[in-house]
Amino acid sequence: MMLFDTHTIMQVLFAALISGIVGLDRTALGQFMISQPVVAGPLTGWLLGDVTAGLVIGGTLELIWVLDMPIGTFVPADSTVAAVAATAIAALGSTTPGQLPVIGFCLLLTVAMVPVTMYADHLMRQRNAQIPELALSADGRPTESGVTVWHLAGLIAFFLKAFLLCLGLVSAGLVLVSGFLALPPSVHRAMSLFVTFLPLLGAASVARKLSMNTLDRTLLIGFLIGAVSVQLFHVPEIAAIVLAAGGGWMGTRFHGA
Amino acid sequence: MAHNAAAIRTVDLLGVFWRSFFIQASWSYDRLQSLGFAFALIPVLRRLYPDREVFAGRLAAHMEYFNTQPYLASFVLGAAAKAEEDRASGRNTTADVVELKKTLMAPLGALGDSFFWGSLKPFAASAAVAVLLTGAWWAPLLFLVLYNIVHVGLRLSLVFVGYETEGDVVALMSRYNFTRLARRYKVLSLAIVGCIVGTLSAWGPVFRAPLSVSPPLLATAGLALTLGMIALLRAGASPVKIMIGLSAACLILAWGGFA
Repeated sequence: MMLFDTHTIMQVLFAALISGIVGLDRTALGQFMISQPVVAGPLTGWLLGDVTAGLVIGGTLELIWVLDMPIGTFVPADSTVAAVAATAIAALGSTTPGQLPVIGFCLLLTVAMVPVTMYADHLMRQRNAQIPELALSADGRPTESGVTVWHLAGLIAFFLKAFLLCLGLVSAGLVLVSGFLALPPSVHRAMSLFVTFLPLLGAASVARKLSMNTLDRTLLIGFLIGAVSVQLFHVPEIAAIVLAAGGGWMGTRFHGA
Repeated sequence: MAHNAAAIRTVDLLGVFWRSFFIQASWSYDRLQSLGFAFALIPVLRRLYPDREVFAGRLAAHMEYFNTQPYLASFVLGAAAKAEEDRASGRNTTADVVELKKTLMAPLGALGDSFFWGSLKPFAASAAVAVLLTGAWWAPLLFLVLYNIVHVGLRLSLVFVGYETEGDVVALMSRYNFTRLARRYKVLSLAIVGCIVGTLSAWGPVFRAPLSVSPPLLATAGLALTLGMIALLRAGASPVKIMIGLSAACLILAWGGFA
Protein backbone atom coordinates (compact mmCIF):
# COMPACT_ATOMS: atom_id res chain seq x y z
CA MET A 1 0.00 0.00 0.00
CA MET A 2 1.29 3.47 -0.84
CA LEU A 3 2.13 5.59 2.22
CA PHE A 4 0.58 8.75 0.76
CA ASP A 5 -2.51 7.75 -1.16
CA THR A 6 -5.18 10.33 -2.01
CA HIS A 7 -7.20 9.59 1.14
CA THR A 8 -4.15 10.05 3.39
CA ILE A 9 -3.15 13.28 1.63
CA MET A 10 -6.67 14.65 2.19
CA GLN A 11 -6.52 13.62 5.86
CA VAL A 12 -3.10 15.30 6.28
CA LEU A 13 -4.48 18.49 4.74
CA PHE A 14 -7.49 18.25 7.06
CA ALA A 15 -5.16 17.90 10.06
CA ALA A 16 -3.22 20.97 8.88
CA LEU A 17 -6.49 22.87 8.58
CA ILE A 18 -7.41 21.93 12.17
CA SER A 19 -3.95 23.08 13.27
CA GLY A 20 -4.33 26.40 11.43
CA ILE A 21 -7.75 27.15 12.92
CA VAL A 22 -7.02 25.94 16.45
CA GLY A 23 -3.59 27.60 16.31
CA LEU A 24 -5.22 31.03 15.94
CA ASP A 25 -6.51 30.71 19.49
CA ARG A 26 -2.97 30.29 20.82
CA THR A 27 -1.98 33.95 20.43
CA ALA A 28 -3.84 35.84 17.74
CA LEU A 29 -7.54 35.29 18.35
CA GLY A 30 -9.50 34.99 21.58
CA GLN A 31 -7.18 32.83 23.67
CA PHE A 32 -10.09 30.75 24.93
CA MET A 33 -7.54 27.93 25.36
CA ILE A 34 -9.05 25.70 22.69
CA SER A 35 -5.43 25.62 21.55
CA GLN A 36 -4.26 23.92 24.76
CA PRO A 37 -3.16 20.32 24.15
CA VAL A 38 -5.84 18.92 26.49
CA VAL A 39 -8.49 20.36 24.13
CA ALA A 40 -6.68 20.49 20.76
CA GLY A 41 -5.49 16.85 21.01
CA PRO A 42 -8.89 15.23 21.69
CA LEU A 43 -10.58 17.54 19.16
CA THR A 44 -8.10 16.46 16.45
CA GLY A 45 -8.43 12.82 17.47
CA TRP A 46 -12.22 13.03 17.31
CA LEU A 47 -12.19 14.67 13.87
CA LEU A 48 -9.71 12.12 12.52
CA GLY A 49 -11.39 9.10 14.09
CA ASP A 50 -9.04 8.30 16.99
CA VAL A 51 -10.27 10.00 20.17
CA THR A 52 -8.08 7.81 22.40
CA ALA A 53 -4.89 9.04 20.71
CA GLY A 54 -6.06 12.65 21.13
CA LEU A 55 -6.96 12.21 24.79
CA VAL A 56 -3.67 10.50 25.67
CA ILE A 57 -1.45 12.89 23.70
CA GLY A 58 -3.37 16.02 24.73
CA GLY A 59 -3.56 15.10 28.41
CA THR A 60 0.12 14.17 28.53
CA LEU A 61 1.47 17.24 26.75
CA GLU A 62 -0.83 19.57 28.70
CA LEU A 63 0.83 19.15 32.07
CA ILE A 64 4.35 19.07 30.62
CA TRP A 65 3.97 22.42 28.81
CA VAL A 66 1.24 24.24 30.78
CA LEU A 67 3.66 26.47 32.68
CA ASP A 68 5.83 27.36 29.69
CA MET A 69 4.51 30.90 29.69
CA PRO A 70 4.48 33.61 26.97
CA ILE A 71 5.91 36.38 29.12
CA GLY A 72 6.99 39.62 27.40
CA THR A 73 8.63 38.78 24.08
CA PHE A 74 9.42 35.16 25.03
CA VAL A 75 7.68 32.73 22.70
CA PRO A 76 7.31 29.27 24.28
CA ALA A 77 7.24 25.93 22.48
CA ASP A 78 4.13 25.59 20.32
CA SER A 79 2.36 22.82 22.22
CA THR A 80 -0.72 23.31 20.01
CA VAL A 81 0.96 22.31 16.76
CA ALA A 82 2.81 19.55 18.64
CA ALA A 83 -0.46 18.12 20.06
CA VAL A 84 -2.38 18.36 16.77
CA ALA A 85 0.49 16.95 14.69
CA ALA A 86 1.27 14.10 17.12
CA THR A 87 -2.42 13.16 17.31
CA ALA A 88 -2.78 13.28 13.54
CA ILE A 89 0.32 11.11 13.04
CA ALA A 90 -1.01 8.59 15.58
CA ALA A 91 -4.50 8.58 14.08
CA LEU A 92 -3.35 8.28 10.46
CA GLY A 93 -0.31 6.09 11.07
CA SER A 94 -1.88 3.42 13.31
CA THR A 95 -3.39 0.28 11.88
CA THR A 96 -6.17 0.43 14.52
CA PRO A 97 -7.39 3.37 16.69
CA GLY A 98 -5.79 3.82 20.12
CA GLN A 99 -2.59 1.87 19.36
CA LEU A 100 -0.54 2.66 22.45
CA PRO A 101 2.98 2.00 21.05
CA VAL A 102 2.32 4.39 18.14
CA ILE A 103 0.91 6.99 20.54
CA GLY A 104 4.05 6.69 22.66
CA PHE A 105 6.26 7.06 19.59
CA CYS A 106 4.29 10.15 18.48
CA LEU A 107 4.74 11.68 21.94
CA LEU A 108 8.48 11.10 21.57
CA LEU A 109 8.37 12.81 18.17
CA THR A 110 7.05 16.00 19.81
CA VAL A 111 10.51 16.37 21.36
CA ALA A 112 11.88 16.98 17.88
CA MET A 113 8.95 19.25 17.01
CA VAL A 114 9.60 21.77 19.81
CA PRO A 115 12.61 23.61 18.29
CA VAL A 116 11.01 23.62 14.84
CA THR A 117 7.79 25.22 16.14
CA MET A 118 9.72 27.83 18.14
CA TYR A 119 11.82 28.80 15.13
CA ALA A 120 8.76 29.12 12.87
CA ASP A 121 7.00 31.28 15.47
CA HIS A 122 10.09 33.48 15.77
CA LEU A 123 10.30 34.00 11.99
CA MET A 124 6.61 34.86 11.67
CA ARG A 125 6.67 37.41 14.48
CA GLN A 126 9.69 39.09 12.90
CA ARG A 127 7.78 39.39 9.62
CA ASN A 128 4.76 40.82 11.45
CA ALA A 129 6.85 43.89 12.36
CA GLN A 130 6.08 45.26 8.87
CA ILE A 131 2.31 45.29 9.44
CA PRO A 132 1.97 48.64 11.32
CA GLU A 133 3.76 50.44 8.46
CA LEU A 134 1.44 48.85 5.91
CA ALA A 135 -1.58 50.13 7.86
CA LEU A 136 -0.61 53.73 7.12
CA SER A 137 -2.06 55.57 4.12
CA ALA A 138 0.06 57.37 1.49
CA ASP A 139 0.26 60.53 3.64
CA GLY A 140 1.67 58.53 6.54
CA ARG A 141 -1.48 58.68 8.66
CA PRO A 142 -3.52 55.66 9.71
CA THR A 143 -7.10 55.11 8.53
CA GLU A 144 -9.76 52.95 10.18
CA SER A 145 -9.94 50.61 7.22
CA GLY A 146 -6.14 50.39 6.91
CA VAL A 147 -5.68 49.52 10.57
CA THR A 148 -8.57 47.03 10.51
CA VAL A 149 -7.52 45.23 7.32
CA TRP A 150 -3.81 45.00 8.09
CA HIS A 151 -4.27 44.13 11.73
CA LEU A 152 -6.65 41.30 10.87
CA ALA A 153 -4.28 40.22 8.07
CA GLY A 154 -2.00 39.15 10.90
CA LEU A 155 -4.47 36.30 11.52
CA ILE A 156 -3.57 34.89 8.10
CA ALA A 157 0.11 34.80 9.07
CA PHE A 158 -0.67 32.95 12.31
CA PHE A 159 -2.98 30.54 10.45
CA LEU A 160 -0.43 29.80 7.75
CA LYS A 161 2.32 29.21 10.28
CA ALA A 162 0.31 26.54 12.12
CA PHE A 163 -1.07 25.08 8.87
CA LEU A 164 2.29 24.68 7.13
CA LEU A 165 4.08 23.47 10.25
CA CYS A 166 1.49 20.76 10.80
CA LEU A 167 1.55 19.81 7.12
CA GLY A 168 5.31 19.28 7.21
CA LEU A 169 5.44 17.61 10.61
CA VAL A 170 2.59 15.17 9.93
CA SER A 171 4.02 14.21 6.52
CA ALA A 172 7.46 13.55 8.03
CA GLY A 173 5.90 11.84 11.05
CA LEU A 174 3.92 9.39 8.92
CA VAL A 175 7.13 8.27 7.19
CA LEU A 176 8.79 7.75 10.58
CA VAL A 177 5.77 5.86 11.99
CA SER A 178 5.80 3.46 9.04
CA GLY A 179 9.42 2.71 9.95
CA PHE A 180 8.52 2.39 13.65
CA LEU A 181 5.83 -0.21 12.91
CA ALA A 182 8.51 -2.49 11.46
CA LEU A 183 10.59 -2.40 14.67
CA PRO A 184 10.68 -5.42 17.07
CA PRO A 185 7.86 -5.94 19.67
CA SER A 186 10.18 -4.98 22.53
CA VAL A 187 10.41 -1.41 21.15
CA HIS A 188 6.62 -1.30 20.92
CA ARG A 189 6.32 -2.46 24.55
CA ALA A 190 8.84 0.23 25.54
CA MET A 191 6.73 2.94 23.90
CA SER A 192 3.57 1.66 25.66
CA LEU A 193 5.42 1.88 28.98
CA PHE A 194 6.68 5.35 28.05
CA VAL A 195 3.06 6.58 27.75
CA THR A 196 2.28 5.46 31.30
CA PHE A 197 5.27 7.37 32.75
CA LEU A 198 4.65 10.69 31.01
CA PRO A 199 1.75 11.93 33.22
CA LEU A 200 4.22 11.72 36.11
CA LEU A 201 6.62 13.99 34.20
CA GLY A 202 3.69 16.36 33.71
CA ALA A 203 2.94 16.26 37.43
CA ALA A 204 6.63 16.95 38.17
CA SER A 205 6.72 19.88 35.71
CA VAL A 206 3.71 21.53 37.34
CA ALA A 207 4.97 20.93 40.88
CA ARG A 208 8.41 22.27 39.96
CA LYS A 209 7.00 25.54 38.66
CA LEU A 210 4.38 26.06 41.37
CA SER A 211 6.42 25.26 44.45
CA MET A 212 9.86 26.14 45.76
CA ASN A 213 10.15 22.80 47.58
CA THR A 214 10.71 19.38 46.07
CA LEU A 215 8.86 17.88 49.05
CA ASP A 216 5.98 20.34 48.89
CA ARG A 217 3.49 19.82 51.74
CA THR A 218 0.36 20.39 49.63
CA LEU A 219 1.62 18.01 46.94
CA LEU A 220 2.20 15.31 49.56
CA ILE A 221 -1.22 15.91 51.19
CA GLY A 222 -2.85 15.58 47.76
CA PHE A 223 -0.92 12.35 47.20
CA LEU A 224 -2.00 10.90 50.56
CA ILE A 225 -5.65 11.84 50.07
CA GLY A 226 -5.64 10.31 46.58
CA ALA A 227 -3.82 7.12 47.54
CA VAL A 228 -5.73 6.47 50.79
CA SER A 229 -9.18 7.25 49.44
CA VAL A 230 -8.76 5.09 46.33
CA GLN A 231 -6.83 2.16 47.81
CA LEU A 232 -8.20 1.98 51.34
CA PHE A 233 -11.76 3.27 50.99
CA HIS A 234 -12.27 2.43 47.29
CA VAL A 235 -13.61 5.91 46.63
CA PRO A 236 -14.22 6.63 42.90
CA GLU A 237 -11.26 8.47 41.35
CA ILE A 238 -13.20 11.66 40.55
CA ALA A 239 -14.42 11.83 44.16
CA ALA A 240 -10.78 11.44 45.27
CA ILE A 241 -9.81 14.42 43.09
CA VAL A 242 -12.59 16.50 44.66
CA LEU A 243 -11.41 15.41 48.14
CA ALA A 244 -7.80 16.36 47.34
CA ALA A 245 -8.92 19.74 45.99
CA GLY A 246 -10.97 20.17 49.17
CA GLY A 247 -7.90 19.32 51.23
CA GLY A 248 -5.88 21.90 49.34
CA TRP A 249 -8.63 24.46 49.82
CA MET A 250 -8.70 23.80 53.58
CA GLY A 251 -4.93 24.26 53.59
CA THR A 252 -5.30 27.72 52.09
CA ARG A 253 -7.85 28.62 54.76
CA PHE A 254 -5.64 27.48 57.67
CA HIS A 255 -2.47 28.99 56.31
CA GLY A 256 -4.03 32.27 55.25
CA ALA A 257 -3.19 31.96 51.56
CA MET B 1 -11.62 74.66 28.22
CA ALA B 2 -14.42 72.12 28.03
CA HIS B 3 -15.81 71.06 24.65
CA ASN B 4 -19.17 69.52 23.80
CA ALA B 5 -17.88 66.05 22.94
CA ALA B 6 -20.11 63.00 22.68
CA ALA B 7 -20.17 60.67 25.68
CA ILE B 8 -19.12 57.06 25.38
CA ARG B 9 -22.08 54.64 25.41
CA THR B 10 -22.24 51.09 26.79
CA VAL B 11 -22.44 49.79 23.24
CA ASP B 12 -19.11 51.48 22.43
CA LEU B 13 -17.45 49.73 25.36
CA LEU B 14 -19.03 46.44 24.30
CA GLY B 15 -17.48 47.05 20.87
CA VAL B 16 -14.10 47.50 22.57
CA PHE B 17 -14.69 44.26 24.54
CA TRP B 18 -15.44 42.31 21.33
CA ARG B 19 -12.38 43.73 19.58
CA SER B 20 -10.17 42.96 22.59
CA PHE B 21 -10.30 39.28 21.54
CA PHE B 22 -8.26 40.32 18.46
CA ILE B 23 -5.69 42.42 20.33
CA GLN B 24 -2.79 40.12 19.40
CA ALA B 25 -3.82 39.41 15.79
CA SER B 26 -0.72 41.16 14.42
CA TRP B 27 1.64 40.57 17.38
CA SER B 28 5.27 41.25 16.46
CA TYR B 29 8.58 41.62 18.33
CA ASP B 30 8.91 45.32 17.45
CA ARG B 31 5.43 46.66 18.15
CA LEU B 32 3.86 43.85 20.21
CA GLN B 33 0.19 44.77 20.79
CA SER B 34 0.35 48.36 19.52
CA LEU B 35 -1.77 47.90 16.39
CA GLY B 36 -4.16 45.62 18.31
CA PHE B 37 -4.69 48.28 20.95
CA ALA B 38 -5.53 50.92 18.32
CA PHE B 39 -7.83 48.44 16.54
CA ALA B 40 -9.70 47.62 19.77
CA LEU B 41 -10.21 51.29 20.64
CA ILE B 42 -11.71 52.23 17.25
CA PRO B 43 -15.40 52.16 18.41
CA VAL B 44 -14.60 54.73 21.11
CA LEU B 45 -12.42 56.94 18.87
CA ARG B 46 -15.06 56.85 16.12
CA ARG B 47 -17.68 58.01 18.65
CA LEU B 48 -15.53 60.78 20.17
CA TYR B 49 -13.86 62.17 17.04
CA PRO B 50 -16.21 62.54 14.06
CA ASP B 51 -13.59 64.74 12.37
CA ARG B 52 -11.44 62.44 10.16
CA GLU B 53 -8.20 64.34 10.75
CA VAL B 54 -8.54 64.30 14.53
CA PHE B 55 -9.61 60.64 14.42
CA ALA B 56 -6.51 59.72 12.39
CA GLY B 57 -4.30 61.61 14.84
CA ARG B 58 -5.74 59.81 17.84
CA LEU B 59 -5.53 56.43 16.08
CA ALA B 60 -1.85 57.10 15.34
CA ALA B 61 -1.28 58.00 19.00
CA HIS B 62 -2.58 54.58 20.07
CA MET B 63 -0.32 52.79 17.59
CA GLU B 64 2.68 53.56 19.78
CA TYR B 65 4.47 50.72 21.61
CA PHE B 66 2.13 48.83 23.91
CA ASN B 67 2.32 45.43 25.57
CA THR B 68 0.65 43.87 28.57
CA GLN B 69 -1.08 40.62 29.51
CA PRO B 70 -3.74 40.28 26.77
CA TYR B 71 -6.68 39.75 29.15
CA LEU B 72 -5.79 42.62 31.48
CA ALA B 73 -5.39 44.83 28.41
CA SER B 74 -9.19 45.13 28.74
CA PHE B 75 -8.67 47.22 31.88
CA VAL B 76 -6.23 49.51 30.06
CA LEU B 77 -8.63 49.77 27.11
CA GLY B 78 -11.45 50.85 29.45
CA ALA B 79 -9.16 53.36 31.15
CA ALA B 80 -7.90 54.70 27.80
CA ALA B 81 -11.52 55.08 26.62
CA LYS B 82 -12.27 57.21 29.67
CA ALA B 83 -9.07 59.24 29.18
CA GLU B 84 -9.99 59.83 25.53
CA GLU B 85 -13.48 60.90 26.58
CA ASP B 86 -11.96 63.40 29.01
CA ARG B 87 -9.51 64.58 26.38
CA ALA B 88 -12.26 65.07 23.80
CA SER B 89 -14.19 67.19 26.28
CA GLY B 90 -11.05 69.17 27.22
CA ARG B 91 -10.63 67.72 30.73
CA ASN B 92 -7.16 66.26 30.10
CA THR B 93 -4.37 66.32 27.50
CA THR B 94 -2.83 63.96 24.97
CA ALA B 95 0.14 63.48 27.29
CA ASP B 96 -2.19 62.21 30.04
CA VAL B 97 -3.57 59.45 27.80
CA VAL B 98 -0.10 58.30 26.74
CA GLU B 99 1.18 58.43 30.31
CA LEU B 100 -1.78 56.40 31.58
CA LYS B 101 -1.06 53.55 29.16
CA LYS B 102 2.67 53.59 29.95
CA THR B 103 1.97 53.52 33.68
CA LEU B 104 -0.49 50.64 33.51
CA MET B 105 1.00 48.19 31.02
CA ALA B 106 4.02 46.89 32.98
CA PRO B 107 2.37 46.19 36.37
CA LEU B 108 -0.75 44.73 34.76
CA GLY B 109 1.46 42.56 32.56
CA ALA B 110 3.20 41.08 35.58
CA LEU B 111 -0.07 40.69 37.49
CA GLY B 112 -1.88 39.05 34.57
CA ASP B 113 0.96 36.69 33.68
CA SER B 114 1.13 35.51 37.27
CA PHE B 115 -2.64 35.10 37.66
CA PHE B 116 -3.81 33.75 34.30
CA TRP B 117 -0.76 31.89 32.96
CA GLY B 118 0.82 31.03 36.31
CA SER B 119 -2.17 29.94 38.39
CA LEU B 120 -5.60 29.77 36.68
CA LYS B 121 -4.35 27.83 33.64
CA PRO B 122 -2.38 25.22 35.63
CA PHE B 123 -5.38 24.80 37.96
CA ALA B 124 -7.81 24.15 35.09
CA ALA B 125 -5.23 21.92 33.37
CA SER B 126 -4.47 19.87 36.51
CA ALA B 127 -8.17 19.31 37.20
CA ALA B 128 -8.88 18.35 33.58
CA VAL B 129 -5.91 15.98 33.30
CA ALA B 130 -6.75 14.37 36.66
CA VAL B 131 -10.25 13.66 35.33
CA LEU B 132 -8.89 12.59 31.93
CA LEU B 133 -6.60 10.00 33.55
CA THR B 134 -9.68 8.28 34.98
CA GLY B 135 -10.86 7.80 31.39
CA ALA B 136 -13.53 10.53 31.31
CA TRP B 137 -14.00 11.87 27.77
CA TRP B 138 -15.44 15.18 29.01
CA ALA B 139 -12.18 16.35 30.63
CA PRO B 140 -11.43 18.88 27.82
CA LEU B 141 -14.86 20.45 28.36
CA LEU B 142 -14.15 20.71 32.08
CA PHE B 143 -10.92 22.56 31.26
CA LEU B 144 -12.70 25.04 28.97
CA VAL B 145 -15.48 25.71 31.50
CA LEU B 146 -13.14 26.16 34.51
CA TYR B 147 -10.89 28.50 32.56
CA ASN B 148 -13.33 30.55 30.53
CA ILE B 149 -15.85 31.31 33.28
CA VAL B 150 -13.10 33.36 34.90
CA HIS B 151 -11.38 34.53 31.71
CA VAL B 152 -14.35 35.82 29.70
CA GLY B 153 -16.18 37.13 32.78
CA LEU B 154 -13.14 39.13 33.87
CA ARG B 155 -12.36 40.37 30.37
CA LEU B 156 -15.86 41.81 30.00
CA SER B 157 -15.92 43.27 33.50
CA LEU B 158 -12.45 44.82 33.23
CA VAL B 159 -13.37 47.06 30.28
CA PHE B 160 -16.08 48.66 32.43
CA VAL B 161 -13.99 48.69 35.64
CA GLY B 162 -11.14 50.39 33.75
CA TYR B 163 -13.57 52.98 32.42
CA GLU B 164 -15.30 53.62 35.76
CA THR B 165 -12.12 53.79 37.86
CA GLU B 166 -10.17 55.73 35.19
CA GLY B 167 -7.41 53.12 35.39
CA ASP B 168 -7.05 53.07 39.17
CA VAL B 169 -5.08 49.88 39.89
CA VAL B 170 -5.75 50.15 43.64
CA ALA B 171 -9.49 50.08 42.96
CA LEU B 172 -8.95 47.12 40.64
CA MET B 173 -6.99 45.21 43.29
CA SER B 174 -9.57 45.93 45.97
CA ARG B 175 -12.29 44.56 43.70
CA TYR B 176 -10.33 41.50 42.51
CA ASN B 177 -7.58 40.32 44.84
CA PHE B 178 -5.57 38.64 42.07
CA THR B 179 -2.61 37.88 44.32
CA ARG B 180 -4.69 35.97 46.88
CA LEU B 181 -6.68 34.20 44.16
CA ALA B 182 -3.45 33.18 42.40
CA ARG B 183 -2.07 31.65 45.60
CA ARG B 184 -5.28 29.69 46.11
CA TYR B 185 -5.31 28.36 42.57
CA LYS B 186 -1.67 27.31 42.93
CA VAL B 187 -2.37 25.41 46.16
CA LEU B 188 -5.38 23.69 44.58
CA SER B 189 -3.25 22.74 41.57
CA LEU B 190 -0.55 21.23 43.75
CA ALA B 191 -3.11 19.20 45.74
CA ILE B 192 -4.68 17.89 42.52
CA VAL B 193 -1.29 17.05 41.02
CA GLY B 194 -0.44 15.15 44.21
CA CYS B 195 -3.75 13.31 43.88
CA ILE B 196 -2.91 12.41 40.25
CA VAL B 197 0.19 10.58 41.51
CA GLY B 198 -1.66 9.06 44.50
CA THR B 199 -4.38 7.53 42.30
CA LEU B 200 -1.86 6.07 39.83
CA SER B 201 -3.15 2.53 40.37
CA ALA B 202 -6.68 3.63 39.42
CA TRP B 203 -5.83 5.46 36.20
CA GLY B 204 -7.80 4.47 33.10
CA PRO B 205 -6.63 1.32 31.27
CA VAL B 206 -4.73 3.27 28.60
CA PHE B 207 -2.51 4.95 31.17
CA ARG B 208 -2.16 2.03 33.60
CA ALA B 209 1.43 0.78 33.82
CA PRO B 210 1.79 -2.83 32.57
CA LEU B 211 3.75 -3.76 35.71
CA SER B 212 2.64 -6.50 38.10
CA VAL B 213 3.09 -4.70 41.44
CA SER B 214 0.64 -4.00 44.28
CA PRO B 215 -1.28 -0.65 44.19
CA PRO B 216 0.45 0.78 47.32
CA LEU B 217 3.87 -0.06 45.90
CA LEU B 218 2.91 1.39 42.51
CA ALA B 219 1.75 4.66 44.12
CA THR B 220 4.92 4.88 46.21
CA ALA B 221 7.11 4.19 43.17
CA GLY B 222 5.14 6.81 41.23
CA LEU B 223 5.72 9.35 43.99
CA ALA B 224 9.43 8.54 44.13
CA LEU B 225 9.74 8.90 40.36
CA THR B 226 7.82 12.19 40.39
CA LEU B 227 9.95 13.62 43.20
CA GLY B 228 13.08 12.46 41.36
CA MET B 229 11.95 14.28 38.22
CA ILE B 230 11.13 17.42 40.23
CA ALA B 231 14.68 17.30 41.60
CA LEU B 232 16.07 16.90 38.07
CA LEU B 233 13.99 19.82 36.78
CA ARG B 234 15.15 21.89 39.72
CA ALA B 235 18.74 20.99 38.87
CA GLY B 236 18.25 22.46 35.40
CA ALA B 237 17.13 19.49 33.28
CA SER B 238 14.45 20.33 30.71
CA PRO B 239 11.24 18.29 30.25
CA VAL B 240 12.48 17.41 26.75
CA LYS B 241 15.69 15.88 28.12
CA ILE B 242 13.72 13.96 30.74
CA MET B 243 11.37 12.64 28.03
CA ILE B 244 14.35 11.33 26.10
CA GLY B 245 15.78 9.79 29.28
CA LEU B 246 12.44 8.15 30.12
CA SER B 247 12.12 6.68 26.65
CA ALA B 248 15.65 5.24 26.93
CA ALA B 249 14.81 3.78 30.35
CA CYS B 250 11.64 2.22 28.93
CA LEU B 251 13.62 0.64 26.09
CA ILE B 252 16.04 -0.89 28.60
CA LEU B 253 13.14 -2.19 30.74
CA ALA B 254 11.42 -3.68 27.69
CA TRP B 255 14.59 -5.34 26.40
CA GLY B 256 15.26 -6.67 29.88
CA GLY B 257 11.81 -8.30 29.86
CA PHE B 258 10.36 -6.11 32.65
CA ALA B 259 7.55 -4.74 30.45
